[in-house]
Amino acid sequence: MRKLVFLIAKDLLGEWRLPRVWPAMVLVGLVVAAALTLPLEVLPEQKRQLGPALLWVAILLAAMLAVERSFASEQQEGAWEGLRMYPLSMAAVYLAKLGANVLAVVALQALLVPLFAVLTGLPLGTHPVALMAVVVLGNVAIASLGTLLSALAMGLRQLPGAVALLLLPAGVPVVLAAAEGTRLAAEPTLAPMFWRWLQFLGVFAAVFVAAGIVLVDFAVEE
Amino acid sequence: MNAGPGRLTAIGLVHLLAGILAPAAVFAIFFLAPAEKTMGPVQRILYLHVAVAWFALGACLVTGMAAGGYLLTRRPAWDHWSCAAAETGWLAATLTLISGSLWARAAWNTWWTWDPRLTTVFLLWALYSAGLLIRAAAPDAQRGARLAAVVAVVALVDLPLIFLATRWFRGMHPVAPAMPAVMRAVMGLGAAGFGLVLLLLLVHRRAQLGAAHRLDLLEWEANDGESDRGLCRSLDGSRALCGAPGVAPAPAPQAYRDAGKCLPAARR
Repeated sequence: MRKLVFLIAKDLLGEWRLPRVWPAMVLVGLVVAAALTLPLEVLPEQKRQLGPALLWVAILLAAMLAVERSFASEQQEGAWEGLRMYPLSMAAVYLAKLGANVLAVVALQALLVPLFAVLTGLPLGTHPVALMAVVVLGNVAIASLGTLLSALAMGLRQLPGAVALLLLPAGVPVVLAAAEGTRLAAEPTLAPMFWRWLQFLGVFAAVFVAAGIVLVDFAVEE
Repeated sequence: MNAGPGRLTAIGLVHLLAGILAPAAVFAIFFLAPAEKTMGPVQRILYLHVAVAWFALGACLVTGMAAGGYLLTRRPAWDHWSCAAAETGWLAATLTLISGSLWARAAWNTWWTWDPRLTTVFLLWALYSAGLLIRAAAPDAQRGARLAAVVAVVALVDLPLIFLATRWFRGMHPVAPAMPAVMRAVMGLGAAGFGLVLLLLLVHRRAQLGAAHRLDLLEWEANDGESDRGLCRSLDGSRALCGAPGVAPAPAPQAYRDAGKCLPAARR
């Protein structure tokens, strides 16, 4: 566990000393938010209906920048060879990268969720705990799948955008479930369907964290 | 075991059945199935559409399971099955999208709509396409096989979730519509006939990949001469690049590296 924390701290420290990925991710999130919401000349009610889906599309697109760099950043100046010399399994490296990515997406969500509430008039404060559950599970689901795909893309320097090619179609269930969960969490009363979407997000996150732990060894094998 | 002359092998039987059922299905679609009252002759697309859609889903299952087998055992035969199923599955998914779009134009007056089932098949097609692109973009065949296998397993895990997520939305796509018995029979015949033709494509493609692999190993052996240069026996009995103890594995020849590519290996 301590080694895991050190590995997460290593990634965060690198980003703190030379911020590259986080600012780009936040900027993309803001631009996507503006591009998706501002041109919407629809009724306020329709805007509220569309808001959650647009929010999660913006989160997925911006988070993609952070997750796709998580393994690729190790390829500079022999960092990967150094990391392989640590007495750690590849599953532990995956979990550490996942931890750093979850924190990056938390920062992104902290900015985009209130921003979308303002831009679309979505009453996101109606059920704050329910909304928080959707946000956390959606975060882990996107980060776990994205981190595994980032590991896979390390061996594919000839194919730019490999993470996007896979994350966009494979991440659609998360966007659907999180958007529906967010929409229902903004309703005055929580519908039973809300719990179904929340369970779905939980299953997705659990399945892809498990898949990442099992498959990461095959994805990065030399 | 090789069959002697005059003996009917399993694959021969599949050829025979496909040769009978596929033309019979085409005949039944155009001459036996009654014209649908509201849509007219365009409805006949349905018989092909259902068959290729079922095959696409089945092929996805085979791709993922064979990919899992490859990752666990590293036997090239598993990769050949996975690769062949991915290619034929991609073809079937493409045909599903095209035939569905033609049907939608007649039934719904639009080429495409974001219906849950349509979206599901489109995502299946996108994942197949990404897997094939990744295999083709890998620097060597072994890495391509490994990365494509990881993608296939991810797709296998993801597909039930895509299905579940999209099924909870109400859609326009008909689910088990009521139809006369003769239409149902023609649909079954179409599924069997077209499905067998696609299955034969899959089996022959797998055999082609296996033959290319064996030929490349023979070329390698002929060029290197000795078997102590890192050749050894793998789990399926074929020679593999695993290296004898204490001996550095011999570098894989270019021909071997190309052998597992989905695209036909360039012969030199």
